[in-house]
Amino acid sequence: MLQYWTAILTEASIFAILALGIDMIWGWAGDFDLSAYAYFALGVYMTMVLTIGKAKSPVEYVLGWHLPYLLAIAVAVVVVIAFASIIGAIALRSLREVYFSITTFGAVWAIYYFVENYTPLFNGYNGVYGLFDPMGYGMSYAAYHYVFLAFCAVTLFGVYLLVQRLSRSPFGRMVRAVRDDEKAASVYGRNVFGTKYRTYLFGAALAGLAGGLFAAYIGAFSPLDWKPTEIFVLYAAILVGGRGNPKGVVLGSFIVYVGFVEMTRYIPSPAARPELGPALRQILIGVLIIVMLRFRPSGIIPERLGTDGTEGRRSWRYLFARSSAPPTSVLAWHEARPSMETVVPAEPRPEAGT
Amino acid sequence: MSGAPLLEIDAITKTFGGVVAVKDCSMTIREGTVVGLIGPNGAGKSSVIDLVSGFERPDSGSVRFNSVEVIGKRPDVISRMGLIRTFQTPREWRDLSVIDNVRVGKSELRRESLWRSLASARRLRHLEEGENEEISALMTKYRLDEVRNHRAVGLSGGQKRLLEFARIAAAKPRLTILDEPMGGVNPVLGERIGQAIRDLRTAGSTVVVVEHNLPFIERTCDEVVVMDLGTVIAQGPFDQLRDNKRVVDAYLGNDDE
Repeated sequence: MLQYWTAILTEASIFAILALGIDMIWGWAGDFDLSAYAYFALGVYMTMVLTIGKAKSPVEYVLGWHLPYLLAIAVAVVVVIAFASIIGAIALRSLREVYFSITTFGAVWAIYYFVENYTPLFNGYNGVYGLFDPMGYGMSYAAYHYVFLAFCAVTLFGVYLLVQRLSRSPFGRMVRAVRDDEKAASVYGRNVFGTKYRTYLFGAALAGLAGGLFAAYIGAFSPLDWKPTEIFVLYAAILVGGRGNPKGVVLGSFIVYVGFVEMTRYIPSPAARPELGPALRQILIGVLIIVMLRFRPSGIIPERLGTDGTEGRRSWRYLFARSSAPPTSVLAWHEARPSMETVVPAEPRPEAGT
Repeated sequence: MSGAPLLEIDAITKTFGGVVAVKDCSMTIREGTVVGLIGPNGAGKSSVIDLVSGFERPDSGSVRFNSVEVIGKRPDVISRMGLIRTFQTPREWRDLSVIDNVRVGKSELRRESLWRSLASARRLRHLEEGENEEISALMTKYRLDEVRNHRAVGLSGGQKRLLEFARIAAAKPRLTILDEPMGGVNPVLGERIGQAIRDLRTAGSTVVVVEHNLPFIERTCDEVVVMDLGTVIAQGPFDQLRDNKRVVDAYLGNDDE
């Protein structure tokens, strides 16, 4: 049981890193990207082929190096960034909203089928395997899993601090300004494409990093282990936790991965219908998305509003304050809005024009 | 009154699929003036603004801002040269707080570099805190004090207009082009906007105002440029244009009858 929880928490930590990356692209920059799972998968594949050594026939794949695990992750992230820079340059140049999404969706499926069918790349349908115990150095099996969980948790914490710092920086503010109104942003001197592009590459890099961790977690990786559509689970996590808020995204990832994906494993499936459990899980995630969008569209911890500090809004309070609406609720604040009189106080009218 | 030429538009022409929007249009805006750009609907006023600010590219002609050719440059590049324009509807950054809207106007680009934001976060925070006084003075001036920590999307139409001015004042451009700043605005707020325009000039910005409200133009502007059918038909002080037959025919005629 303890090992089971170790595995779940490891997985949740890894996917929280991926979610943070996707949230930068969607939550901050407003681009509903559907190809992030390809960056994640590429991170996994690259980390594998950089560490597991030469391929032995009939297995075949590129490179086949024996790099140390951490160095392999770093190289994998660089490869992912290079790859994302091509897709990003095409998709972000002039496409927005649904056109951007469709383009990235097309890209991820093209990659998926290419990887599946072009065997010399990553051994096609059968995938690559053999990355076990990359940091254990002969540790016992159980102990290694705890160490790896700690490693993933520490990495997640580091990534969270980095992303949180960026989120509250002038850079994060500018990315959101570009998201909210591109024309206005360019009127105030912001390079719209450059801003979105940089954010996209940063998010893709985090996806690649998550992939590097996942490679060691799963040990073997083939097209059976990933589907481009799985990204919607991550979008569910972001929606639940709070789009645009790193704290919320991490929380949402744990809620969705631990609470929904893993807990629903306990839903009993009749022996005759073993597929019922997984199907039910998908349905529950769908229901979760709908419920969140209906009752708390900005998530459990909504995006942080940059204030001058006088109101001392702490997003944590919204977790527990059920009666007070999150600051995103337009309705709630319409009621509190000052009337026209407070905006333009009555004063002697200026001389009438001609 | 008239300083050196700041914006020189020379014979620009722009057609949109056979429709001539701007035709051989030339004008010069001098530094330190407030210029009204008027003309009937479809005269090409907004097209000229789009061409000058880089959102459209003319078929021919040249535009020099501060003696530098701007045709072919991206809007953000032109903006960094010191030109800020508005649109007919206010374009606030909806999910940013009101105060952050103004801070983005104030902030400089190099402060927003990804690496600086990561590496010297504390220094940047101190830098921004040092500007708090200036920002809150702007908040007070444009009557946004009470809503400064709210999302900009919830502002009333009038408040959004004022926010636009607060943002411009924070950015301190050399040239401001306002596209119908009085659209949907009541007379009292209109006077406040007139004051905001004069304040912009006091702060050192040259201002071009596109507006249909002629009394407002007369009160606010030093000089008026009249456009019709995509070209400039007259330029001069408002009083002189009253007697210009072409202007009366094209535009003011409706007013005098």
